[in-house]
Amino acid sequence: MIKSLKASFTECSGRERAVELLDSEGYRELLSPFDGVESPHLEKQGIVPQSDDGVIVAKGTINGHSAVVISIEGKFQGGGIGEVSGAKIAGTLEQVLADCEAGRKTFPVLIYDTGGVRLQEANYGLLSIAEISAAIVALRRHVPVIGVIPGKIGAFGGMSITAGLCSAVIMTKEGRLGLNGPEVIEQEAGIREFDSEDRQLIWGTIGGEQRTATGFADLLIEDDTEAVKEAVTSVINGDKTFPQRTEQVKRYNDFLRLVEPSQRLSFKDVRELWKQSENNSTAANRTSDGTLSNGRGLIWFNMLRGVAEEIGDLPSVRVSDSSIGESKVRYIAVVPDGNNYFPRARNGELGLLEGWSIAKHIREAIEEDREGEKRAIIAIVDVPSQAYGYHEELLGIHQACAAAVDAYASARLAGHPVISFIPGNAISGAFLSHGMQSNRIIALNDPGVNVHVMSKQSAARITQRSLEELEIASKKVPAMAYDVNSFEKLGALYSLVDEIEADAPGNKDRELIYQEISRAIEDVRDRSVNDLSNRLTSDLATEGGRAASILVREKLFAQWK
Amino acid sequence: MESFLFTYPARKSIDRPAHVGVVGSGDLEIILEPNDQSTTEVSIRTHVTGHKATWEAVIQRFFEQHDIAANVKINDFGATPGMVAMRLAQAVEVSSYD
Repeated sequence: MIKSLKASFTECSGRERAVELLDSEGYRELLSPFDGVESPHLEKQGIVPQSDDGVIVAKGTINGHSAVVISIEGKFQGGGIGEVSGAKIAGTLEQVLADCEAGRKTFPVLIYDTGGVRLQEANYGLLSIAEISAAIVALRRHVPVIGVIPGKIGAFGGMSITAGLCSAVIMTKEGRLGLNGPEVIEQEAGIREFDSEDRQLIWGTIGGEQRTATGFADLLIEDDTEAVKEAVTSVINGDKTFPQRTEQVKRYNDFLRLVEPSQRLSFKDVRELWKQSENNSTAANRTSDGTLSNGRGLIWFNMLRGVAEEIGDLPSVRVSDSSIGESKVRYIAVVPDGNNYFPRARNGELGLLEGWSIAKHIREAIEEDREGEKRAIIAIVDVPSQAYGYHEELLGIHQACAAAVDAYASARLAGHPVISFIPGNAISGAFLSHGMQSNRIIALNDPGVNVHVMSKQSAARITQRSLEELEIASKKVPAMAYDVNSFEKLGALYSLVDEIEADAPGNKDRELIYQEISRAIEDVRDRSVNDLSNRLTSDLATEGGRAASILVREKLFAQWK
Repeated sequence: MESFLFTYPARKSIDRPAHVGVVGSGDLEIILEPNDQSTTEVSIRTHVTGHKATWEAVIQRFFEQHDIAANVKINDFGATPGMVAMRLAQAVEVSSYD
């Protein structure tokens, strides 16, 4: 038959996409609009909620293969991930994982149309995305996790990191994939860095065609419903397999070493460099000699490691092997490097090199400890944000973040106790990549410790509110607040340590933190649970901190069978 | 944001629930669920404030023309009156599909 008419997939609503992708027989939506599980946080802020919170979960088959489709509705709040929508995605993936572990193979497909964390629910979105990431990494050991980015919004923010974790990423020309959206980069780095109204620039940098040509997406397809189904099926039945991006640390490091960020790279340059990086590049590891500021990250890194030798290969990613009591530990800290090779990452931001360097040092430890004692991985977290810039997006900062996320999650799954210690800021994509995948999180109870998803100025602009309005909203929804005490209420912290000299720690402070870390390591080893479920079972979480996250999972599991 | 509740007498019950639309710019979401009472209850949440009279007129007119007993939930994100009427008609059509 000659196919004369295409049926656009991009033009479909989120629900229509799920319906189109699954076989019509046996299609069943879970937590549908009639179940009425909507966001409990929006109405308080004067925003009309949607009955499915913008995420459609449907079970059924794809060309006969048992599958679950998770489709995000981009028109509702920009596809932003809040507590309910996030729990729908994470809970579904967790249930698919349980099915796979029980021998019932089910293929998960994520259809992206999202700007990332829903800023009105801020830290709930952050926690959800960490849980989604954890589930994807765990699931990939059983089935390919397929991401489809058809377009209109695309996949941005923390959700672009989850796309970077997928086994296969399928895009159309209209699809976009990047960590920081064009408006956010313009806001944070200026219009010279990125003009958010320049469509050619946007699609040239992060569009589907460019992404597929530069190693960040696997299949470029026509915007056609049949083409989507065909591409998804080819991955499900194993006709198409792709090397896991997050595990190719060397290739992406070689790729980045070929780059000269002092000149503005063109879209074409990057395609060339990506091809070159395939043949073992000989480019030298060009890192700066580093002019370092004494931030809390570095202070605590030095304090905790004591006399142990440094083994990192970047001035901005400090690594050291040491021990606390009986336990062997590897410390990893991201710190400012005033001469960072990438100028947008000079203030301690988590940038391209940082993400891949973290991945490298964790994967090394996993490899070395394969047979013996699994050393604890301690992430020392003082990160102001991810790096915002043109080169960052062009060279796939979302993938660098995904590499770090995957490495931490893989270490946790391999049995390494992964502990985060937060003496400073833990913000946004940087925290997702460095700290959010750990078994236990320890933070200092100090005004200099902040946890949130975007600077106040940017969050105000993106949600079209004034700073005052934002402050008022954060009083009603603790997940929107920036201080660590509000974050504690969500129940994800293992401990909040009082009375520590955060800026100038002495030996007494160090001893206290050693004790906390030891206690956390022992707790992890005793319980031998290697997922993130403790964040939902803690007292603060069950007493209301994560009420909707828990409710959504309960309802979802009840409807699952 | 504003919310209203309107109630009208009704006789005919609908066959099945219906869901149409999205809470996106210029659009709205409507959920229609059968009830076994002789009333239609319409609860509305709208993003745009100050248009209660318009809402009342649009909704009342629609349910004068369509005698259906149902619970109707409307989540609006700035739809025009024309859009509201079309989405309502669509919801009623979906609810009577086989």
